[in-house]
Amino acid sequence: MRRALVAITGLAASTTALVVLKAAPGTSQVAQDVPAGQPPAATGAAEDEETSPDATAAPATGKPKATKSARPQGSASATPSRTASGGATRTPSAPRTTTAAPQPTARTVTGPVVSNEFGNVQVQITVSGSRIVNAVALELPEKTAQSVQRSGEVDSRYSGTGGMVVARQGADLDTVSGATATSRSYQQSLQAAIDRARG
Amino acid sequence: MSTSTVLRPGLRRVEQIMGTPISLDIADDLPAGQLDTLADETFAWLREVDARFSTYRPDSEVCRFDRGELLLSEASTDLRRVLARCADLWDATDGFFDAYATGGLDPSGYVKGWAAQVASDRLLAAGSANHCLNAGGDVRLRGRSSSGQPWRVGVRHPWDPSAVCLVLAGTDLAVATSGVYERGHHVRDPRRGTPARGLRSVTVVGPDLGLADAYATAALAMGVAGIGWLDRLPGHRHAVVTDAAHCLHSTDLPLAD
Repeated sequence: MRRALVAITGLAASTTALVVLKAAPGTSQVAQDVPAGQPPAATGAAEDEETSPDATAAPATGKPKATKSARPQGSASATPSRTASGGATRTPSAPRTTTAAPQPTARTVTGPVVSNEFGNVQVQITVSGSRIVNAVALELPEKTAQSVQRSGEVDSRYSGTGGMVVARQGADLDTVSGATATSRSYQQSLQAAIDRARG
Repeated sequence: MSTSTVLRPGLRRVEQIMGTPISLDIADDLPAGQLDTLADETFAWLREVDARFSTYRPDSEVCRFDRGELLLSEASTDLRRVLARCADLWDATDGFFDAYATGGLDPSGYVKGWAAQVASDRLLAAGSANHCLNAGGDVRLRGRSSSGQPWRVGVRHPWDPSAVCLVLAGTDLAVATSGVYERGHHVRDPRRGTPARGLRSVTVVGPDLGLADAYATAALAMGVAGIGWLDRLPGHRHAVVTDAAHCLHSTDLPLAD
């Protein structure tokens, strides 16, 4: 009786392990296939994007962000998709493809892939000398169309002539204000990229 | 985590204190030894604040005071000052800034900004006229960056951690941002006990980082009503992004360019 129980338990355990192993790579790719630069779904007026920059609330997003749709595919292996509620946040999370020494020529610094409840986030900045000349999101969460639309709206209100990231690449920031209270959120923040580039 | 670069004058250093990353950028063209001393003293002060004011350390002054083991008359000048300021803030924010919101005493909502403000004041007094201190997203800056230009502070885009939605510039600013983009709606309306709704992020710009941070947190907890409240707040400027993704900001917000 006991032996049968052990056998059944063992079978169940190994089956579970198999299923988990099989499922793992797939689950970490959740947010991968939607390009970050998709124009917001609702609110028309997309044709305004070139002609009337100041017009109403036209979300003039598409154009600059479209360049970002070349997304790195290898990132699935980067981070375990979800660490246990903050516990192990400071684990070496991702390959940091920082180019070696600071040079006056342009170089790129890529942050780690960080997963949050909405998907994966990865930021890359390009630095020339000590100035940030470009910042792109290699990966962004795309949980809902609504959040995309909202990003677009905030964009159109703020960024004036350009799109979300590209308009700000010339922003040439020294620092970023924003609630980066946890080391986890710091890891995925622009501030971390700035610190890393200047460090 | 602390390194420096030879490309620009000054020093840059990041340390994890008070459960948050703190980035220091000193742009003054000073001897390396002096820069290191300035940075060492800055981070030593912040670690001291953590040891004395942390609610996670049972032996901290705050916890001992909260347990009644320490009388107000026995408390340090710093603690008494912080408690007085928290009481003022409770008044000024109509109860929305509440150091006792969680039951026990938790002045963290004021302490981080205050500590960074004091650190910046001390840097200035010690000879650093040009620095930028970022304590977990709350920024106190003075003078100019090593580029010779006023410091440029991005305000984090509420839906995109890799982007900013505003860029501020200045030579003497405290900039604090509270947002609910991080841990969901974690800021509670202390009156209803429910998560605050309506505002996605609030940025307050003023002369004192402790106050700016507390005001930002309070306005966020107020929800949409916080916008009007901020408008009536003397001596401060603000930017607000609503849950509906509308941005509102003071007309005299020090925007870059």
